[in-house]
Amino acid sequence: MENILEVQQVCKAFPKTNFSLKQISFSIPYGSIMGFVGENGAGKTTTIGCILNTVARDSGTVRLFGREMLDADTGLRERIGVVYDGDNFPAYWNAEQLSRVMQGLYKQWDNAFFYAYLERFRLLPKQKIKHYSRGMTMKLAVAAALSHHPQLLILDEATSGLDPIMRDDMLDVFLDFVQDENHAILLSSHITSDLEKIADRITFIHDGRLLLTASKNDLAYHFAVMRCKESQFRELDPGDILAYRKRDFQTDVLVADGKDAARKYRGAVIDHVSVDEIMLLLAKGERV
Amino acid sequence: MKGLLKNNFYAVYSGAKTFSAFMALLGAFVSVVVSQQLLLFYMLLGIVGFSVNAIASIGKDHISKWGKYKLTSPVRRADIVKSCFLHQLIWLLVGMAFAGGVMGLSWFLHGHPFDRDIDVFMVFAVGIGISLFSGAIFLPLFYLGGEERSGAFLAISLLCAIGAVMGIVSLVNSLFGPKMSALQAVLGAAIVLGCSLAVFSISYPFTVAIFKRREY
Repeated sequence: MENILEVQQVCKAFPKTNFSLKQISFSIPYGSIMGFVGENGAGKTTTIGCILNTVARDSGTVRLFGREMLDADTGLRERIGVVYDGDNFPAYWNAEQLSRVMQGLYKQWDNAFFYAYLERFRLLPKQKIKHYSRGMTMKLAVAAALSHHPQLLILDEATSGLDPIMRDDMLDVFLDFVQDENHAILLSSHITSDLEKIADRITFIHDGRLLLTASKNDLAYHFAVMRCKESQFRELDPGDILAYRKRDFQTDVLVADGKDAARKYRGAVIDHVSVDEIMLLLAKGERV
Repeated sequence: MKGLLKNNFYAVYSGAKTFSAFMALLGAFVSVVVSQQLLLFYMLLGIVGFSVNAIASIGKDHISKWGKYKLTSPVRRADIVKSCFLHQLIWLLVGMAFAGGVMGLSWFLHGHPFDRDIDVFMVFAVGIGISLFSGAIFLPLFYLGGEERSGAFLAISLLCAIGAVMGIVSLVNSLFGPKMSALQAVLGAAIVLGCSLAVFSISYPFTVAIFKRREY
């Protein structure tokens, strides 16, 4: 399957803060939604910065629509819609002024489309952004990101801070967008329930390191957590253990195939695992 | 580029509106009162004030994530810098229009306002020079040091600009002596203008090079 975005071995170090991205690699096929999950400070925004060239990577390659994007490649950026967390636009603007600026930036800016979204999201064109609620600000940013008809949406924590109803509205918009097979979404979030709802694949990042990329179906139907006693844990084949976390009286072990584990370790307690729990086990657990 | 200029316009709009109202009132007063010093002060304030207000507004982009967002839009970083330089030139023209308008009105009401008609060139040259030097110093500093220091950078660049222009004027005075001929006065104004334009032009690629390395 052809990829709309390919990130290969991207590294970026920030010596002052001791944080670094370490060999980040993943790809997003056309027609899919990739969830990018990790705790605050895991490196999601830095990775997105490396993709969009707002941050200069130390090494590695990023291919958008099959090629590297340079500063001069304005045509490629025409095909990307971006939503950042929080205040994307100056507070002294209103939606009408935003559309005028965007019209001057994007050749494909579609005013009718933008105003249709304003109506759908119940945003007043002449109301100053500083008087918007957080949810309204995010809706405006999503409307702006979609109104130049991009193929790739890059959403950095675009749903955080929204109430469940607004989040659901937004997720519907994203699902609509990806109905077109030439479109794709990279959705970074630490709200795993959003990703469980709409993502096709989920990539886990922690402390600048990519921990796992898997399809949502695999995560939902194959991944599992074994609740082991100490003696059971000692008998496990290390090859089966993705991560484990010791608790007071048991050890939780993340395995890639719950059914296989059930066959192999009879009597073990094996539970389905949520994306949240996978994230916790991968981030806070230990590796063999 | 059109979008970037509109963006810059919206950033400066409320400040420029207030400053324009103030300048219009002050201009009405200055054109009625016969005072060479007041007119001189008004002209310099107009020429420098509008453009300094314009460059000061550039930092507003970075209060929100718009400064970073803009980089993801189909514009080159060089275009963003170019739009800032053009923005300053546009507001310099507005300032010159205010200064010229009030000077013309004063001239119309009370006759020629300066000792010699030719001195008006030097007033404009000094005003334009300070404006251009301010922009040429402020913009690279702004992209180098970050938006959180923009207030300090603005003060530094304005003071440096005044110092630089005063230095050039002193040099011109010592070159041509205290009793300049009309031709020497025009030449002196041209030197001030030429130097400030040269620094402004050199500052552009320098600012682009700095901005290209900035991470957001």
